[in-house]
Amino acid sequence: MIRLGYRLQYFVQTAWRGLRSSLLTSGVSVLTIAVALGLMGGFGLLVLNMQGLLDRFGEDLQVSVYLEADLSKERTQELDATLKSVEGVRHVEYISPEQALQHFLSVAGTHAGLIEGLDHNPLPASFVLTLAPEKRTKQDMAIVVESLQGLPGIEDLVYGADWIEGYTRAIGFVRWLAAGLGGVLVFATVMIVANTIRLAVYARRDEIEILSLVGASRIFVSVPFLLEGMLQGLLGGLLALAMLYAAFRLALPEIAHGLQLLVGLAAPSFLSSGDMLLLVACGAGLGCFGSLLALIGGYRH
Amino acid sequence: MIRMYGVSMSYLASTYALRDVSLDVGKGEFVFLTGSSGAGKTTLLKLLFAAERSTEGQIIIRGRNIARMRGAAIPELRRHVGVVFQDFKLLNRRTVEENVSVALQVRGEAPRIVRAKAFQMLKQVGLQNRRHDYPLSLSGGEQQRVAIARALVNDPEILLSDEPTGNLDPDLTLEIMDLLVQASTRGTTVLVATHEHGLLSRYGKRVIHLEHGRIARDVPAHDVST
Ligand SMILES: Nc1ncnc2c1ncn2[C@@H]1O[C@H](COP(=O)(O)OP(=O)(O)OP(=O)(O)O)[C@@H](O)[C@H]1O
Ligand SMILES: [Mg+2]
Repeated sequence: MIRLGYRLQYFVQTAWRGLRSSLLTSGVSVLTIAVALGLMGGFGLLVLNMQGLLDRFGEDLQVSVYLEADLSKERTQELDATLKSVEGVRHVEYISPEQALQHFLSVAGTHAGLIEGLDHNPLPASFVLTLAPEKRTKQDMAIVVESLQGLPGIEDLVYGADWIEGYTRAIGFVRWLAAGLGGVLVFATVMIVANTIRLAVYARRDEIEILSLVGASRIFVSVPFLLEGMLQGLLGGLLALAMLYAAFRLALPEIAHGLQLLVGLAAPSFLSSGDMLLLVACGAGLGCFGSLLALIGGYRH
Repeated sequence: MIRMYGVSMSYLASTYALRDVSLDVGKGEFVFLTGSSGAGKTTLLKLLFAAERSTEGQIIIRGRNIARMRGAAIPELRRHVGVVFQDFKLLNRRTVEENVSVALQVRGEAPRIVRAKAFQMLKQVGLQNRRHDYPLSLSGGEQQRVAIARALVNDPEILLSDEPTGNLDPDLTLEIMDLLVQASTRGTTVLVATHEHGLLSRYGKRVIHLEHGRIARDVPAHDVST
């Protein structure tokens, strides 16, 4: 273990030297990794923000249960209890005709005149059901609504927002796209690093031979190459983060309007520090894996 | 320290580079290996650090038959066998000091010890002032001394040297030879392959003559001081 520590300095030094000695190929490799990881991070960012929006607006996914006019107090309380017992219903709120009117007047604005001429409040009392988050899909909502249909005292049931259904599907699509593209990019990243390291191994084959002649183990010879690949991935990851952040800060205001349609009015958020770490770690891991592939294929010669 | 029993080696199917060689070299012994070109000197040395594998026979070094050794055990063997290659085999992209250090680093020595030993060794071969230079900026003789420093720095049990004085002027030849002889007086077993008959008589060490892959003569050491 101590010896490993002693060697670490040598390994890092040698890996760094290797990276510098092939600046061009390493640079190209780092750049390509950065673009690949940047694209992956970009998609991650998009999914993240879309999901965030859904989580915020999903709260609005409610079922309104309009009651028959002049329903007795007892029947109303009975209904309240029944609704609360329905599976998937998390919260039940009673809205009296007066509250409904107030709400209507507050949002109706210029259209308030619609009911001004009436001498009594035309709005019915209602219950608003909030569903458990996992039940906020069209199917689950339909099931809940079906179980309520025909209950005595209920005049009408209104539920759902089609845009959320569509939006959920859009997120699913973006997620699949990201996964597919991510798979391709991961593969590409590994191949790029593998190729760069294979070249490095080839360029330094004399050095490898000499090291082996003075008693270097396979591991001693290989680790600097692994580190070199890892370093490329790490630098690529950092560069990707920088590019993402720059794009987020600079390009976002430009496309803000278009983006609003996609992710809504809420201010988009950047990757969390955990996600940033993950991205860079991904780069390092892929780089390491790529050079491992190169070494398995290339060491023998 | 080195024992060979009936060792044969052929690169190509029909011809032998070494044929039925048996010999016994003790600890701290200094042996010249000589013979005409193609006699098998380099091949014999290569077998001793497993750069080539024998086709027949046993080679016992440090109590192990290296002719049958697993590939994974070879690095450990090489850490106890210093080799000075005819073409030096220095790492051209590393400094003189790093070239010498690497023989210690492969053993996992602490950086502090690596620095101290490498410096000490370079001082012994008179290159302490060139330690930050790169091999290609050194003369042939200086490169050779770096190669010797690397071979000796970890105090190997065996030192192998192929034509160590091949392209050196006479003064330098003696200087280099003195380094090798010194190593043997410190207990390292030294094998030197050479063409130069002048050296053989000057030092009076044991001489093994190879001819067509066989040991033709094995002349024991004799006193030359008189
Ligand atoms: N890599 C090889 N492949 C095939 N044959 C080889 C190889 N290396 C050496 N030989 C042959 O083995 C025989 C012994 O060669 P070796 O290099 O051991 O001789 P040597 O005594 O070192 O000669 P020199 O004094 O010229 O260095 C020669 O016949 C040579 O042609
Ligand atoms: Mg030879």
